[in-house]
Amino acid sequence: MKTTSKTTYQIPIGPIHPALKEPVSFTFEIDGERIVNVDVHLGFVHRSIEWAGTKRNLVQLLYLAERICGICSYCHPMALALAVERASSIQVPDRAEYLRVIHAELERIGSHILWAGVAAHEIGFDSVLFLTWQIRETVLDLTEYLTGNRITKGITMIGGVRRDITPEMVPRIHETLQFLKSQMEKLHHVMLDDTTIQLRCRDCGVLTKEDALSLCAVGPTTRASGVRKDVRLDQPYFAFGDLDFDYITPDLLTSEVRGDVYDRIVVRLLEIKQSVDLIEQCLDRMPAGDIVAEPKITALLAALKKVTGEGIGRMEAPRGEVFHYVKLTGSDFPYYWKVRAPTYNNILPWVPMLLGQQIADIPIIAASIDPCMSCTNRVTIVHKSQPSMVDGEQLHRLSIEKTRRLLR
Amino acid sequence: MTKTKVKPEEIILSFQTKFPGGITQSRIERRTSGTMKTEFIHLWLHVDKKIFKEVVKHLFTFDPSPHFAVSSGYDLRDTIELVYHFSLFYGTRGDELSLNMTVALPKSDPVIETITDIIPGALIAEQEKQEMLGVKILGIPKDTRVFIADDFPKGIYPWRRDETGPEKLVRNLHEAEK
Amino acid sequence: MAKGLVKSFKKALWVYHINSGSCNGCDIEIIASLCPRYDIERFGIKMVGSPRHADVLLITGPVTRQMADKVKRAYEQMPDPKAVICVGNCGNTGDVFYESYNLVGPVDTILPVDVYVIGCPPRPENIIHGISKAWVKLETLETRP
Repeated sequence: MKTTSKTTYQIPIGPIHPALKEPVSFTFEIDGERIVNVDVHLGFVHRSIEWAGTKRNLVQLLYLAERICGICSYCHPMALALAVERASSIQVPDRAEYLRVIHAELERIGSHILWAGVAAHEIGFDSVLFLTWQIRETVLDLTEYLTGNRITKGITMIGGVRRDITPEMVPRIHETLQFLKSQMEKLHHVMLDDTTIQLRCRDCGVLTKEDALSLCAVGPTTRASGVRKDVRLDQPYFAFGDLDFDYITPDLLTSEVRGDVYDRIVVRLLEIKQSVDLIEQCLDRMPAGDIVAEPKITALLAALKKVTGEGIGRMEAPRGEVFHYVKLTGSDFPYYWKVRAPTYNNILPWVPMLLGQQIADIPIIAASIDPCMSCTNRVTIVHKSQPSMVDGEQLHRLSIEKTRRLLR
Repeated sequence: MTKTKVKPEEIILSFQTKFPGGITQSRIERRTSGTMKTEFIHLWLHVDKKIFKEVVKHLFTFDPSPHFAVSSGYDLRDTIELVYHFSLFYGTRGDELSLNMTVALPKSDPVIETITDIIPGALIAEQEKQEMLGVKILGIPKDTRVFIADDFPKGIYPWRRDETGPEKLVRNLHEAEK
Repeated sequence: MAKGLVKSFKKALWVYHINSGSCNGCDIEIIASLCPRYDIERFGIKMVGSPRHADVLLITGPVTRQMADKVKRAYEQMPDPKAVICVGNCGNTGDVFYESYNLVGPVDTILPVDVYVIGCPPRPENIIHGISKAWVKLETLETRP
């Protein structure tokens, strides 16, 4: 008897991933090797931060915001501080605006270098992972020198920052920036001129400009599709209005926009260069003065307690626009606090990127938006209702095998 | 893509002429940043629930692709207010305008129309409002939970401040029994 | 327990990492400890992609409601003898996430934790120190009759 069965099968991926961010789970519907449908499940890291935030005072909240994400541990508290400053009309001193730019750009450099390593790892290029993370260690050393911590920086304060950059610290910063510049050329060569990376990333995971606009993508993901959108320029905050820089789209380097994974690598690498340049500009132009509007925290809290109002804080984090909304109603605690991380908006663009691609391309496409998850693990392939386990290692191996196949 | 910047006063005026009485409150917030005092504008509107979707459609006359950041929402005892955050005129340095639209929904009947048919990127934000605040979004294309687990008790909405709030489920990790 | 395991652990301790809802701070420090600056692979400590291959479970995060059973299942899949290391303050005590409706942690209410690594996030040196403590546990397990 001839039986007909469904030709597609499902692959759930996740939610346990051995590296980096939020566990996310996918269900892929696969036809042969091609993905025909994707469903994304979120919420595995829902820690009820927004609810807990309504039970803390605004300075305590900064430290909670810092722990929303370990890689964006500067953007989240800073966006919250911006929202609170706007709700309460606190004027930030000029020097603090420049210091804030320096820390923000330092974080961007660290995050993009980290991402370059992870992306290389996903296509089986582990030597680049080690190369980039070695470069990243110098960025972390500088972060530690400036803030006292490697990851959670604890530098944010409402109305300014908590630590100054003194003149004797400047040579050390320049030294690291010089080192980064020399390494960037190497990294550009390794990442962009490599045949393997071109074969794996060109025309893979394409996000068209129309999709990027309608799905409200943010950050390097949308800029790689040719959309000029960067909060630093669109609506300057901190001292970004004073500095000299422009939108980064991949056509600056390759003179065309394809919106594929390769373009996302290009945008991020160019942004590292841009960030180094921005830090140098800040060090040159930084005015003298106070670093915080109200140094006494008790006085600050007493002032904030009287505030009634609402404010939004928007910042260009390494991954895109971070959005915080805060509503104050004249009490110790905020009435409501909304956090929107960039990945929140970049989840939906995953769907058009992944459709029609191969299983072996899932890791690199998923990683290409720099999401809060990177390695995929524990995959169950349900094929003709006989489940067989494929773990993340096998998926990773599939990805590496494809690289090898292409090289032959 | 060329976008012509429209002054915030003109935007408010345009809304008020198109929807007489529909815009109950408006506020223009002007701030500056940096030593050069670069100005940026946040616009706050209170929109009547009935015309909300038309107002969102009207945004397209100013900018062909308004960016929807997210929607916030909070419980005010008798009403639930949703705040939709848009940004217009991005792409040119310093031109962007943030537009925040507040819509009040009565708690007895918290229903609002979906905007995913005009801005598909709003899906996750709308799903989140459904599960967190118990708002009913009419015509949402994917009516499932996103952030809270499927086995999370029904009828409990974490952002509510009344008896349907999450207080029953809250536990303090420091007091965990070992 | 079989004799001779200590000898094999000496050069090959395999570690599996689960994020049970952490902020990533700990997770990137774990990766950092694998990378050239700290390079724990020179001690034979290796990150593996499946719990079935692992001797040690590194767990980060305060365990969300959705992850609780997944964490348990991953632990059950590990072969004996095994050790569990809880990395980071939020997994140890809840830390900044102490009060929540969606957390079921701390980790030691779900799994038997052997080593607690403190810090938010702990430095790579501290994580490596924690792993070496787990080594001690596996060795004492073997000497026990």
